[in-house]
Amino acid sequence: MTDTTERTFALPDLGEGLVEATVLEWLAAPGDRIGRNAPLVELETTKSAVEIPSPYAGTVVRLHAEEGEVVQVGSALVTFAVEGPAGEADDGAAGQAGIVGRVPQDGEAPRRRVRLRPPEE
Amino acid sequence: MDQVLSGEVPLRYAVEGDPAAPGEAPPVLLLHGYGSNHELNWLRTGWPAALEGRALIAPDLRGHGGSGKPGDDGAYTPERIAGDMVRLLDALGADRVDAVGYSMGARNAWELALRHPGRVRRLVLAGFGPRDPFAGADLHALDRDSSPFGRMHRVAGTVPGNDLDALAACARGQASRPFTPEPAPGVPMLFAAGERDAVAADAEELAASCGAEVVRVPGRDHANAVSARALKEAVRGFLAVEAPAGGPR
Repeated sequence: MTDTTERTFALPDLGEGLVEATVLEWLAAPGDRIGRNAPLVELETTKSAVEIPSPYAGTVVRLHAEEGEVVQVGSALVTFAVEGPAGEADDGAAGQAGIVGRVPQDGEAPRRRVRLRPPEE
Repeated sequence: MDQVLSGEVPLRYAVEGDPAAPGEAPPVLLLHGYGSNHELNWLRTGWPAALEGRALIAPDLRGHGGSGKPGDDGAYTPERIAGDMVRLLDALGADRVDAVGYSMGARNAWELALRHPGRVRRLVLAGFGPRDPFAGADLHALDRDSSPFGRMHRVAGTVPGNDLDALAACARGQASRPFTPEPAPGVPMLFAAGERDAVAADAEELAASCGAEVVRVPGRDHANAVSARALKEAVRGFLAVEAPAGGPR
């Protein structure tokens, strides 16, 4: 069996001081295989609508927000199962800072939050 | 990558693929809406992926984004903007394009097709209808205007790089040439808009007079229809088929 690692993608900073966005439409569903940079979700901020491409190649495991729901920057948006041994699967998310470290090798299914920026404490 | 076409009014634009390459399908010229720019309107909304395989030309219209921002109203008439587009197409070696406009971009794409019929193969008018978009607005006092257009103007003011004085001049220049359904460009056209788009109200009427189809995206309004998958698929399909309905060929 191929190693897979779960990766949770959080709502990235959309710029211009925006702190939240509304999910307009999911462009992928749980169980879908998705390529890196393939259309993932359509969001709307107070200023504009945007389409977010997938940061990973893998399988969509979970969507963390419904269409019409407001999501805060830094909150979980979608979880992927990414093929490849832990530690190498980050290749798909080049440019995302702060996703260093290793996921557990056994025990519970590995889950962790991926943040583009640290949450405000 | 962004480039700048120099001239009296410099134009910033992005190009994807080779617009001068000979082939069946011409490049697609993307004209953004009022107060926006090519990046916000087309790139961040996922249009390059939706139109994959087509060469793209996406300028910032004068007064917007990284393009020149003249201060006089007369610099912003539809004929001046259409002139910019011809200048850009000439510089890129694109003889003929499919033009896709959103909102004010559609108004000016119409003008381009009307004044320069040889340059446009097909025309997509998205987020656009025959009604006066400036209805009820005092275009000389937009900073405190409470009409729908006035409110849109102030939202546009929060987009980095926008210059509200230049945008107001642009609004007045555009308004100085009220849209008329006649004469219509003699190219196949497609109208597309959110179901709740007030700016595109009565698009069906205009489309009927042009022999064109209208695609409506359920649940969407003027601000959020542009990124909708249904809109992109309709446009992609219309630009791909051999001989679409909508106007003489």
